[in-house]
Amino acid sequence: MVSKVRYIRIQRQFLRCRQTMQILIVEDESKLAHALQQGLEEEGYSAAVALSGEEALRLIERGAPDLVLLDVMLPKRNGLSVLRELRRDGFHVPVLLLTALDTVDDRVLGLDAGGDDYLVKPFAFPELLARVRALLRRTASAPQPALDFAGLHINLAGRTVTRDAVALELTGREFDLLEYFMLNRGRVVSREMLTRDVWKETSRYTPLDNVIDVQVARLRRKIDDPFEAKLLHTVRGIGFVLREE
Amino acid sequence: MRLSFRSGNLRLRLTLWYGTVFSVLLLLHIGVATYVHYRQLLAQGFRAANEETETVEGLIYWTSDRKISVNEDYFNHPEIRFRLDRLLEALAPDGTILYRNKKLNGTELGGAPLQSEGIGSYNERTLKLSDGRNVLVVSHFHLLNGRPIILRLGFDEAPLLANVMRFLIVLLSLAPITVMVAVALVYRVTSSALSPLSTMVRRAERITAERLNERLPVHNPSDDLGHAARVFNELLRRLEDSFTQLRRFTSDASHELRTPLASLRSIGEVSLQNDHSAAEYRDVVASMLEEVRRLTHLVDSLLVIARGDGGQISLNLSVFSCLDLIREVTDLVGILAEDKQQTICVTGNAELTVRADRGILRQAILNLVDNAIKYSPRESEIRIELRRLSDDMAEIAIIDQGPGIAAAEQALVFDRFYRTDEGRSRESGGAGLGLSIAKWAVEVHAGSIGVLPGSAGGSCFYVRLPLEH
Repeated sequence: MVSKVRYIRIQRQFLRCRQTMQILIVEDESKLAHALQQGLEEEGYSAAVALSGEEALRLIERGAPDLVLLDVMLPKRNGLSVLRELRRDGFHVPVLLLTALDTVDDRVLGLDAGGDDYLVKPFAFPELLARVRALLRRTASAPQPALDFAGLHINLAGRTVTRDAVALELTGREFDLLEYFMLNRGRVVSREMLTRDVWKETSRYTPLDNVIDVQVARLRRKIDDPFEAKLLHTVRGIGFVLREE
Repeated sequence: MRLSFRSGNLRLRLTLWYGTVFSVLLLLHIGVATYVHYRQLLAQGFRAANEETETVEGLIYWTSDRKISVNEDYFNHPEIRFRLDRLLEALAPDGTILYRNKKLNGTELGGAPLQSEGIGSYNERTLKLSDGRNVLVVSHFHLLNGRPIILRLGFDEAPLLANVMRFLIVLLSLAPITVMVAVALVYRVTSSALSPLSTMVRRAERITAERLNERLPVHNPSDDLGHAARVFNELLRRLEDSFTQLRRFTSDASHELRTPLASLRSIGEVSLQNDHSAAEYRDVVASMLEEVRRLTHLVDSLLVIARGDGGQISLNLSVFSCLDLIREVTDLVGILAEDKQQTICVTGNAELTVRADRGILRQAILNLVDNAIKYSPRESEIRIELRRLSDDMAEIAIIDQGPGIAAAEQALVFDRFYRTDEGRSRESGGAGLGLSIAKWAVEVHAGSIGVLPGSAGGSCFYVRLPLEH
């Protein structure tokens, strides 16, 4: 039997582990930097801001964060040069590059310099959160055979869906969409994330907003309309979220 | 000013070059002329000497001591008195001196007889005597009263050389005047030939980005400078065109950016005027985010266009079936048509393939199909027809049953920011860039794009692309 004291200690350790995920935001535009800081802290991370590359290097040497959000176009010292110095000094902290440059060359340059992922400004905050989670996840979650949420049950192998034991007929795209919402349940999903992850669209210049809206409306008709409790909600201005009210 | 100075410099350089070359040629000319003159005088001298030899042969006689003497009284022709200056020597074939006249001052005229000297013809040569005189010598073999002698007749070369010298001095003293006159003429001619260049330079100095409508003067369209001026004017016209286009694009883009910015600003300001509930503020922020989204799409489209203009996009070419591409597009946006109970009917041959950047070309087809769905009424049909136009051209026609496009507007719809119906298009989310992006995407693949009135009302947008064999 585990003693109460020990249980509390374990719980504290766990909480510390969860809550003290340190993220360093390196961004010279202080408005953006502080908005990101607030957003990340509201998500339970601990976030610090460095407004220049030099400051970032100082902060990282003092105590290595778990993740760095690094702006590429910093004044005086380019973000990529900061990144190269970090890697040369042996820091393996995951780095998510933030930049307004979005050609393939820029991307390759960023990843070659040692970046782990690349996000083009202006980005949707839910997208940033998703990338941060992905980079912080130490081990890839094992593929699950089924997902359950508030009476919704989807069988990934057989690609079937039931809600409250009622079988729902979904098209292939609707199934993919629902699977994505289920994996991100409780979190806001932006249209950019859907474009990339569900429609597998690589080009940023193919706006699928109308297509996504129509597809989500159809999915909603199938999974929500016949039932009392609505699960799939539109978050105006951002995207969609699957959650219980 | 610096440029016009250079053109003066060019004139001077041309003149200098010309002067130098002209002087060298003139000197060469004088040298050759003098030499020819000298050779002629020499030939004349020898001819005279030959004649003189004949005369002398008639005047010599044997003396009693087996020597030879000359009857000097003969000269009664004043015009040949210079022949008194002749040098005369007679030799026996064994070299015995038979006669030497006084003018020789005892020096020998040519020494021992040469092999068959003067036999058959006159032997002509120039010699330097032991007293330093240069002489022309003619020898002739002669039988005097049956006994053979060699008669040598010489003339001093000095008067001949003096003649040549005079000739040379006259020519040389005229040379500087000739050169000066020629150079002055060339300078004038070059100046007048280059004066259009100076005007062109002065005009060109006035041309700046703000005054690209200026043109260089064309004095004579058929000469080199006129040709250059016309080429420059053509270049200026193209520059002016692209500047105008760029300026219009920048100003249009700014105007387009203003609209969502104005919305953002108004929404924010109005919401701060009074206190609102949290739910109302949420609504305000969401509304602002929607405008931000529009701005983002607009900026993304502008970037595509700017990169296309700058030629910065490198095509990632592959060979694929046109029909596959059309099906990919209809699969993607077909749901929008379904939503309006429209049917999309695709017909065509799957074997028509093109070599293109699939992503860029897909964007073009996507924009066209998206437009067709947007502007067609509910429950209408959109036909997409793929066919072979000729041996090496394929055509994709997208035929809708929308309101159609007025003939006057058909040429304009591919212009950037052009919208047939201001209000409605903005409502449906377009900034008037979709068709101009499509046009760029097709033209970058050496294809063409256009719009025709559809057979059953509506429009027929066509894309023609070179086929891959």
